[in-house]
Amino acid sequence: MQNEPTCELNSKEEAADIYCSTCKTPIRAFDKLFGNHKDHEVTELTNAAEIAKEEVHKNMCKLEEQIGQMENVASHLEEIFITVEENFGRQEQNFEMRCNDVMQTLAQRYEEKLQDLGEEKKLKLEALYGQLVSCGKDLDTCKDLMETIQELCMENKKVDFIKAAVALVDRLEKFLKKDLDLELSTLPDFEDRAIDFSDMEQLMDSINTVPDDSIECYQLYYKQVSDDTPSEEQAELMTKVKETYHTVTHLVPNTQYEFWVSALNASGISPASERAVYVTAPSPPIIKSQESQSCENAALICWESGNINPVESYTVELSKVTNGENGDVITESIVGIPNCEALIQLQPRHSYLISVRAVNMGGSSERSEPVSIHTTGTYFYLNEDSAHPLLSVLEDGFTIACSEIENPECDLPSRDNSFTRCIAILGSMIPFQGKHYWEVEVEEDMEYRVGVAYENTHRQGYLGANNSSWCLRHIVTPSRHKYEFLHSGTTPDIRITVPPKRIGILLDYDNWKLSFFNLDIAQHLYTFNSHFQHYVHPCFALERPGFMRIHNGIAAPTSIALS
Amino acid sequence: MLLRHTLAPAPAEARAKIMALKQISSNKCFNGFQKVFEHDSVELKCKMKFGIYLPPKAESGKCAVLYWLSGLTCTEQNFITKAGFHQAAAEHGLIIVAPDTSPRGCNIEGEDESWDFGTGAGFYVDATEEPWKTNYRTYSYIKDELPKLINANFPTDPERMSIFGHSMGGHGALILALKNPGKYKSVSAFAPICNPIQCPWGKKAFGGYLGSDLSKWEAYDATHLVKSYPDSHLDILIDQGKDDQFLSAGQLLPDNFIAACTEQKIPVVFRLQQGYDHSYFFIATFVNDHIRHHAKYLNA
Repeated sequence: MQNEPTCELNSKEEAADIYCSTCKTPIRAFDKLFGNHKDHEVTELTNAAEIAKEEVHKNMCKLEEQIGQMENVASHLEEIFITVEENFGRQEQNFEMRCNDVMQTLAQRYEEKLQDLGEEKKLKLEALYGQLVSCGKDLDTCKDLMETIQELCMENKKVDFIKAAVALVDRLEKFLKKDLDLELSTLPDFEDRAIDFSDMEQLMDSINTVPDDSIECYQLYYKQVSDDTPSEEQAELMTKVKETYHTVTHLVPNTQYEFWVSALNASGISPASERAVYVTAPSPPIIKSQESQSCENAALICWESGNINPVESYTVELSKVTNGENGDVITESIVGIPNCEALIQLQPRHSYLISVRAVNMGGSSERSEPVSIHTTGTYFYLNEDSAHPLLSVLEDGFTIACSEIENPECDLPSRDNSFTRCIAILGSMIPFQGKHYWEVEVEEDMEYRVGVAYENTHRQGYLGANNSSWCLRHIVTPSRHKYEFLHSGTTPDIRITVPPKRIGILLDYDNWKLSFFNLDIAQHLYTFNSHFQHYVHPCFALERPGFMRIHNGIAAPTSIALS
Repeated sequence: MLLRHTLAPAPAEARAKIMALKQISSNKCFNGFQKVFEHDSVELKCKMKFGIYLPPKAESGKCAVLYWLSGLTCTEQNFITKAGFHQAAAEHGLIIVAPDTSPRGCNIEGEDESWDFGTGAGFYVDATEEPWKTNYRTYSYIKDELPKLINANFPTDPERMSIFGHSMGGHGALILALKNPGKYKSVSAFAPICNPIQCPWGKKAFGGYLGSDLSKWEAYDATHLVKSYPDSHLDILIDQGKDDQFLSAGQLLPDNFIAACTEQKIPVVFRLQQGYDHSYFFIATFVNDHIRHHAKYLNA
């Protein structure tokens, strides 16, 4: 007999189909009617499930709150931890300083006393020596006199004796009259020098006193600094702060600020600290999404800085969006972009969200509003700036229309960049290598020109009439449809029997070709083989009142992509 | 690739004999081979030669086939030696078959009298008049016998076939495509005779091969055939030299054909090429465009 899972033991019974709120358990409806739960409150299982879900959710929210609180506590603990370290640092520093002072003073006194003693010794010794010398002299004189006396006493001649004796007595009188200084000039004892340790005592005392940390508060000052305006003109702002840290808000982005702080206690205010200079991070840039372009393999994004003053660089961030999700996950970052535009390599047939941050010394800004890019094909926009006054772009941005033409060359007001004779408009430049494809839709009797042109193509000229533009031109004569493939004013002689209503245009930068196709029958019409010297703009012109619809951002049909 | 020599066949191998080919020459070209074969034609009841270019791709797989029909006075040699098509054929993996322009060595009286009728001027019709009707069946030869022979002996995909030609061969290509909707994936021509019933060449040839019944002529006239062509699934490319003497002589009449196609909404791109004449120099200049045109449909 196999072991059956426990749930199968109950397979003989019926499954629970209702919920008893009193017993808080699922039961069979049968039991409510006839069993133990007769008098109990019941409710639908789905109801019960909902209630249970809510309970769980509530508890989950409580849990989340708790997590938040605990994280708060953790971060406060961290702050205190840091403050403890700081306080220790201060105590240590202070003590070291005091001790050093004491040591220095002591050393100083030592030197001084030694020097004094040395001086005194020198003086004493000199005096003694002097006295010694003088004594010696006197001694010699005495001895000399003695000898003379002795010699005299031995003189027998009375006359000579008396002469000598007189002289000698004279000398003796003189000598004895001299004041013999028998006093010792110098005492061996040194002066009693008491070193003045009073200042040291003070120092020693102050070692024990902890600096008075009872600061009432700090005053944090800050003001904007800029190279242009002299510092006096900037307002100085101040906040009173109790802690040793403070977050200053509402600062101007991308600006340099000076910060300094003073401590304040009952006795007064401390001198200001050294000034710290910080730069605030910049404001986020603003992407010009209308002017952003893409093709299957790349995108060109332009933006405005978002800051009045220059920033150091920009960072572009990409998210590849899969199935509408993952828009927040950054898949790629490009840093160090110097200008307000970036050409980014992408993969075909994907969707991306692209945003930009500005970066300066103070850090990077918030992310800009993203722009959505789909690499389904080459995308360009119509440059309304270049449109002939009689040509208008409809609301969808991709249909051009021309109303009655009386005189296309009349003096209508026109901007510098617009066509004046040919009722034409340029698309934005296609600045990416490789193949690019777009389509136009026309009515059979429309007269139009469609092709590509260089940025600087003559605004006074006609598309195809110069060497900076290439186009297919369709006009209707009384007898037939006429097709021209114009460049430098010339066209090959080509007859087309089925007038195209949808034209595919394939621009191949790599092989220097511009091809035109009748899409309805996948017929190749003509290919220009032209070595494009620069990137080109798609161009469109109407020669008669009517519409032309442009389709881009699409992949070329296989039959065309392969040709 | 099957090659069997024309030895005296046993009766049971009669069919085999009919399909047997004799290789006349083989030259390697752009990594493929330009060969010439000879066989006994049932339609034309004589030995016929044809040129066949086998691209490198033919060694490992089946290829589509593009038939070339030459013009007046040509043999199977002109196209394969003068047109310079081999590189493009190799690149696009196409087998190119270039048959002769008429039966040869049949000893029919008058066949060599003029260069625009008889030998070298089959006009791709099935003659109904004597003494031409036995041998001069170049329409059926190109339509049925030759493809069958090619498909039996070479690595071809029988579903993928196209046709093009020059002058009289252009006329042949156009009428074969127009008379056999769906048989050819694409058609193109160099300086074709578009409206033979209206030009001296056509009048002479049709008069000789088909007699005086105009309705029989119309059946081989492209401009006329277009008028009853059932659908528009044909993409026709035509190149015409502007300095072509035969154009100015009114032999080619492309305007008539274009007008008919415009009316019938048959897609044509007709290119009038400044400075070019009727020669193989003109063909050589634009043959790559034509091969690319056919490859688009044959390799799709």
